[in-house]
Amino acid sequence: MQNPTIHKVEFSGNARSYFGIWIVNILLSIVTLGIYSAWAKVRTRRYMYQHTAIDGRRFDYHATGMQIFIGRLIVVAGFIVFSIVSAIPIIGLVAIFGLLFLAPWLINRGMLFNARVTSWSGLRFGFDGSYWRAFRVYILYPFLSLFTLYLAIPFAIRAQHSYSVNSHRFGTAKFHFESSVKPFYVAFLLAIGWMALAGLLMFLVLGGGEIFAEIAMAERTGRAPDDALMLRMGIFYVLLILAVLPAGFIYQAFLRNAVYGATSLAGGHEFRSDVKPMQLVWIGVSNAVAIICSLGMLLPWAHIRMMRYLSDHTFILANGSLDDFTGQQEESVGAIGDAYADLEGFDVGLPV
Amino acid sequence: MSGFPSDPGTPVPGHAYGPGSSRRIAASLRVADDQATLFGPQGERLVVGHARRRDRIGAGPSLIDIDDGWRFETDAHEMIDTLLGHEQKAGLMEYERFHPRLVLVVLACFAGVFLIWRFGLGVLVAIGIALTPAPFVSAIDRGNIAAIDRVFAQPSRLDADRRAEVRAIFDDLAQAAPEPPYGDYQLHFRHIPRLGANAFALPGGNIVMTDAFVRQFGDDDIIAAVLGHEMAHVTEKHSLQQLYRSLSIYLLIALIAGDVGPVAEDILLEGGALMSLAYSREHESEADAIGIRVAARAGYDPAALAVFFRRLDGMTGGGDGPQWYSTHPASRDRAAEIRRQIEELGLSAD
Ligand SMILES: [Zn+2]
Repeated sequence: MQNPTIHKVEFSGNARSYFGIWIVNILLSIVTLGIYSAWAKVRTRRYMYQHTAIDGRRFDYHATGMQIFIGRLIVVAGFIVFSIVSAIPIIGLVAIFGLLFLAPWLINRGMLFNARVTSWSGLRFGFDGSYWRAFRVYILYPFLSLFTLYLAIPFAIRAQHSYSVNSHRFGTAKFHFESSVKPFYVAFLLAIGWMALAGLLMFLVLGGGEIFAEIAMAERTGRAPDDALMLRMGIFYVLLILAVLPAGFIYQAFLRNAVYGATSLAGGHEFRSDVKPMQLVWIGVSNAVAIICSLGMLLPWAHIRMMRYLSDHTFILANGSLDDFTGQQEESVGAIGDAYADLEGFDVGLPV
Repeated sequence: MSGFPSDPGTPVPGHAYGPGSSRRIAASLRVADDQATLFGPQGERLVVGHARRRDRIGAGPSLIDIDDGWRFETDAHEMIDTLLGHEQKAGLMEYERFHPRLVLVVLACFAGVFLIWRFGLGVLVAIGIALTPAPFVSAIDRGNIAAIDRVFAQPSRLDADRRAEVRAIFDDLAQAAPEPPYGDYQLHFRHIPRLGANAFALPGGNIVMTDAFVRQFGDDDIIAAVLGHEMAHVTEKHSLQQLYRSLSIYLLIALIAGDVGPVAEDILLEGGALMSLAYSREHESEADAIGIRVAARAGYDPAALAVFFRRLDGMTGGGDGPQWYSTHPASRDRAAEIRRQIEELGLSAD
């Protein structure tokens, strides 16, 4: 690549304007018992996407509330049918296997949809999935890694990112992913290490085992545990979540940098992410504390703060002009959805 | 709305994107007689057609779709307003503006959450229960009993005579109790050392009693009162209510709070589960109230339930693992409440 032009991702959203959108969304969702939430999701996404730009060219989100609503209706109906069916002894087993084989199709559909409804610089993203490759990376490999006591799970994670990135297009330009497995092991081992250490400390210091035994007993016998026990349980949970929380952010930071660094777009364009794990931990944990202490009212602020940090640490190394991407017919073009949904906030991990 | 109404002939500056291309073109839009024309940087005509405005969000751009897949975006909102009229959904954007009025929206949200918690959930639970087919509930019972037997229960070690005596009490109670909703009441004896002296009901009408319970509380009246209590759990569908309650909470949190982020969602869900446990206390007093009436109707002394709770209260947990009553100081309150009700209703065994 000769002299790439470096573009930082520009995010122009702010907590003031997002707060209004967020709280009005919640009010309307409550009043409609959750139905409006489909439209709320579209409004939130459009706000985030339209306030994100590269080289002055904005992203945009084109799904409609009705599309999301119908999708959710189908999922909820399916969930209800599944939970009824799975209570019946033999048919339940069949249903669980059925779901296993349905999952790759659902994942592909989700990525296809998200790709098709996302645009940048006036051009839509696209996705060319394959059922059996999705089945391999999302079902088979994780299942096989069971037999290695999860030690091989980073291979499965790498395969998933490879599948997702390699299946995405921007217009007709294909994304490409090429990486060794090493960064995936680094992210995995650091996160596991943190989690084991923090969890162990919490159990030792706060006597978590005893609380759980008592709660389990109360639940099994259908009796109400007393207030003191519930309070201890509540405090224990909050502290445990706070202690284990950094593991997730550490993992996501390493993974994000690795995946962006290994991704390129046809035409010689490359991507970089230089998120600092400890900075991400700080933002993530302080966000969580702020959200809890403000009874959720600082959530929009936290969301915007995370978005701003991530976009500040995301770059495109453009090989020449960004004007020359072309698309096929509108219909056959989709969205990079999940890869981009990453930029959307808390969901720091790349595709699924 | 616009401060300076501009001459409709004035072109609005912005950027255009052609169909199937990422090219960003410095362009201007002119509208005359409902006909929009997009001009390129050299003044060349890019497209002529009908202009449709998309609703604007926050400080985002004004977006205009023109025929043939052309798009135009601009930050000159007021000029566009003059040209095309204020967008349809400006109303929502106006309410979303950062303004003291939002305090009211926040308060309304808190009130809404409270109302949903207080009433909305009840409606969802009632709908869920109404839609539940009886075979499904029976399947839950079968599944649970199989799981209990596999995990921690052994066959009862009580002798057959003793079991027959308790079963006779059970039959008296089943006669006096309201119709079970999902199939007959059935009593199962099990030796479950880990549960200590215990009895519990499954939603479909199966009631499990541990050997330790029969040994420690051999009194007929106590057995009758506790069985009445468990049958009340069945007729009032308490377990199903709790199941649907937690499902509804899960669904509502997922829908309304939507993208609250993983941390907040975990905390909301755990909080919801804990509050559901607190809710089960209401079910316990309801089952107490119905249970003593059933026991009295079947000819047993309803006050035995109060005796039972006081004896529980007097017991210490001992060394044989955690038992629910050792952490249950409310037993004394329940005993007092039962006595109050018996006096009030003039219930007695006759
Ligand atoms: Zn009970």
